Amino acid sequence: MARFEDQLAAVEAQGSDAQGNDISSNGGEGFTRRGFLIGTMAGSAMMAFGLSGAAAAASDGSANNGSASESLAAGRYEPTIWYAIAPDGTVTVHITKAEMGQHVATSLARLVAEELEADWSSIEVVYVDSDPKWGYMVTGGSWSVHHSYLPLSRAGAAGRIALIEAGAKLLDVDPADCRARHGQVISGDKSVSYGEIVSQAGLERTFSEEELKEISLKPASERRVLGTKGTALDVPAKVNGEAIYGIDVTVDKMLYARPVLPPTRFGSKPVSIDDSAAKQIDGYRQTIELDDPSGVCQGWLAVIADSYSSAMRATDALKVEWQRGDSYDISEADIQEQGHTLVNSPSRDNGSLFVDIGDVSSGLEGASEVIDSTYTTSSVLHFQLEPVNATVFEEDGHWHVHCGNQQQTLAVGMLSKALQVDKSNITLHQYYLGGGFGRRLYGDYTIPAALAAKALGRPVKMLFTRPDDTRFDCVRSPSVQRLRSGLDGNGKVVASEHAAAAGWPSAAMAPAFLIEPVEDGGKVDSFAISGADHWYDVGAQRVWAQQNHKAHEVFVPGYLRSVGPGWTTWAVEQHIDELALAAGKDPARFRLELLNAEGRNAGQAPHSVGGAERLRAVLERAMAKADWDSRDSLPDDVGMGVALTFGQERSMPTWVACIARVKINRGDGSVDVEHLTAVADAGTLAHPDGAMAQLEGSLLWGLSMALYEGTEVEKGKPKALNLGAYTPLRMNQVPKMDLEFVDSDAMPVGLGEPGTTVVAPAIANAIQHAVGVRLRDMPMRAEALKAAL
Amino acid sequence: MASFTLNGKPVSVEVSPQTPLLWVLRDNLGMTGTKFGCGIAQCGACTVHLNGSATRTCVLPVSAAEGGEVVTIEGLSDNDDHPLQQAWREHQVPQCGYCQSGQIMQAADFLSRTPDPSDEEVTEAMSGNLCRCMAYVRIHRAVKRAAEISQASEASTAGVGVFDPSRDQEVTHGQV
Repeated sequence: MARFEDQLAAVEAQGSDAQGNDISSNGGEGFTRRGFLIGTMAGSAMMAFGLSGAAAAASDGSANNGSASESLAAGRYEPTIWYAIAPDGTVTVHITKAEMGQHVATSLARLVAEELEADWSSIEVVYVDSDPKWGYMVTGGSWSVHHSYLPLSRAGAAGRIALIEAGAKLLDVDPADCRARHGQVISGDKSVSYGEIVSQAGLERTFSEEELKEISLKPASERRVLGTKGTALDVPAKVNGEAIYGIDVTVDKMLYARPVLPPTRFGSKPVSIDDSAAKQIDGYRQTIELDDPSGVCQGWLAVIADSYSSAMRATDALKVEWQRGDSYDISEADIQEQGHTLVNSPSRDNGSLFVDIGDVSSGLEGASEVIDSTYTTSSVLHFQLEPVNATVFEEDGHWHVHCGNQQQTLAVGMLSKALQVDKSNITLHQYYLGGGFGRRLYGDYTIPAALAAKALGRPVKMLFTRPDDTRFDCVRSPSVQRLRSGLDGNGKVVASEHAAAAGWPSAAMAPAFLIEPVEDGGKVDSFAISGADHWYDVGAQRVWAQQNHKAHEVFVPGYLRSVGPGWTTWAVEQHIDELALAAGKDPARFRLELLNAEGRNAGQAPHSVGGAERLRAVLERAMAKADWDSRDSLPDDVGMGVALTFGQERSMPTWVACIARVKINRGDGSVDVEHLTAVADAGTLAHPDGAMAQLEGSLLWGLSMALYEGTEVEKGKPKALNLGAYTPLRMNQVPKMDLEFVDSDAMPVGLGEPGTTVVAPAIANAIQHAVGVRLRDMPMRAEALKAAL
Repeated sequence: MASFTLNGKPVSVEVSPQTPLLWVLRDNLGMTGTKFGCGIAQCGACTVHLNGSATRTCVLPVSAAEGGEVVTIEGLSDNDDHPLQQAWREHQVPQCGYCQSGQIMQAADFLSRTPDPSDEEVTEAMSGNLCRCMAYVRIHRAVKRAAEISQASEASTAGVGVFDPSRDQEVTHGQV
């Protein structure tokens, strides 16, 4: 299967965004990053990837482009400066990724610092604004460190080579006799600092694309930064109130706005608006209708006031009659009914094949026993704590949009349509995100703010209240999945078919991200099905991804932390347990039998080196840590269950095993999660403490979704709009946790999401072990368990 | 007109009396460290100290603070050195960070009343504050650690006169 990284590169190379809009600054000619330029501008050394041909022209001198410095200074090629070294030695790393709790700037700066041999205390980071020169700007998919590893490591190494060469000249020694450490070039007892090299000699060096690729990165034994303890650069500002989020932005002459949301996401219209009561509220100015050529805001109003408090109260006082869109009458049950229909007769009419290996039909027919089970998950809210917001103004024909965002390239394209201005006249200014979790991958929330600013000809800060945010959320689609697998007489799995139906986020937001994984099998949203292509050896295997169009009629299906694996892992990992039970085998040892690093499960260097063997290893380690063998002698109503995940994509596997120990309260059906054990292998950890924080948080997210979250779509919106009705995990619901990373120097992979998916199936399997009840619907509610007991 | 003391300084703001204190702090007084989360006093992101008690401000009319003492995250310490801030950095608590001002203000009030809390007391005191990143393990650890830091510093200064230049300066200039 194609790596998603390649798909992203292809979209980027076409010079278009994920909706097929031109994103390049040079008329759709497209661009790729090529060579690397190191030059000196205004006294500082700049390390930049040149655009196509720039480095080549600079290095061979054939064109009239002169040195790397001249190329950089002229801005001739819009080089993308990834880091710079100032005369005082400060290394400034430009961060194109969104900072939303994963300490991404720290991890990325560590990649540079490692190979550059920089002194960590000299590192500074700058979060950049949107600009086509950065390429496709997106933060998601647990990709950041994995995708940045080679380019940023090579960029750091190239800088080190240039510094050693220049430093050797200053020291009057052979570069071969020099080494770089802690921001200095050292030869014997002589040394010169990076700052001194930059200020005294300057840097002048270009690397072609080939030269860059030939740089050999340091062996793991030589690492001084990656894999070591250290603190995150964004933490200090987050303990004293100084961290600035989108909601904190203020600009001169700004008005405040609150959106007035129509009863349905699509197709509603205001029929009459009565603001006579709103007019009694101090600071209320007016209510405007938003005319949106992009179609994001259908039938929206905005209440404008001198303060946000006034805008909130005036909105509540507004009386609006609406003509409702048709989707008002579609409920979650209707969507799920459609899902059941789709998985019972999957076809190319509603989706595509995701995996197609061997003859599944005859495998199932010839099996001695077929296990047939259906699993569901309900709608889930992002509930990122900072409600969506944006502050927008126009100045000299240029539009400035201030907010936290995870996919700037897509947002700029959408804003261009809504404002009817060229993308080159729009800049998204980035801030800390008060939670992303995939919500801010879709910049739809910038549109009403921009339209209001345009209508009023003044800066507008639009902030959604929590219920507004929930009603406008691109929720995690409800899903239905059916798995049928056959066992032979010896309890061996011979064939398996999996069909999953859900709303497809990429189809709704980013159609260019749809891929065709099986030749002539049709296009599929891999984000909605990934995880079904697991690493177990199940003989013949067929996986269908079905798009539930009914979900798309009601809401925009969203990317929510881990996306598809959030439901596929729920189904696969329970189904494996059901097969183990049918085969009369211990579920953990049954998994070990199915994990053979052979054929397609052997893995590929560097990203998935080791394959299924690494999943075996984390499972064995988790079994030892959790004392799996005690499972046969637990007290009454206590059970242990296991689940595995390989994270987000086969091409970027993060190997995780989770074992849950639960106690069931028969009186009310409630589940006490007594203990969670997890072992993860994410390869090299760029920032181990940050990695552990992600594992802790993502596992608790998984627990929260398993037992405490979930809502349903009803009358055009989620039923639970705020806390009270929606109840994410609190501190008093946190179980004891025993977590561990495998010590590995393999290529780093992703960590933001993988932990979220394993907890729910591990708990479901533990409940089955404790009391013999199989819960196949997520969230697992106490009432459902009580009813089944 | 609303008047109260904010982080030790008297302030007066021309707002209608039912305006929630949160928006007066954020939009009128520029103290944006205090956050807006749920708007119904259930997440705790808007927690400040009012007359020494952790108080949720998103539904509290500014009139309730009239003449009172309000302390926000920006006024918790002079040099970001409150034991909780030290412990928060030491244990690398924040992820997205959005709820953390509220968490710290809640914990500061709790520790002032319960200087040597048990694990269960910490959990009980902090369970009203939502952390969507679910950094609960570290929040718990850091509250316990802050209690240790406070106790150690009290023990080390008990009965000993310590020259504190900042305090000396305050006295000289008559500042509050």
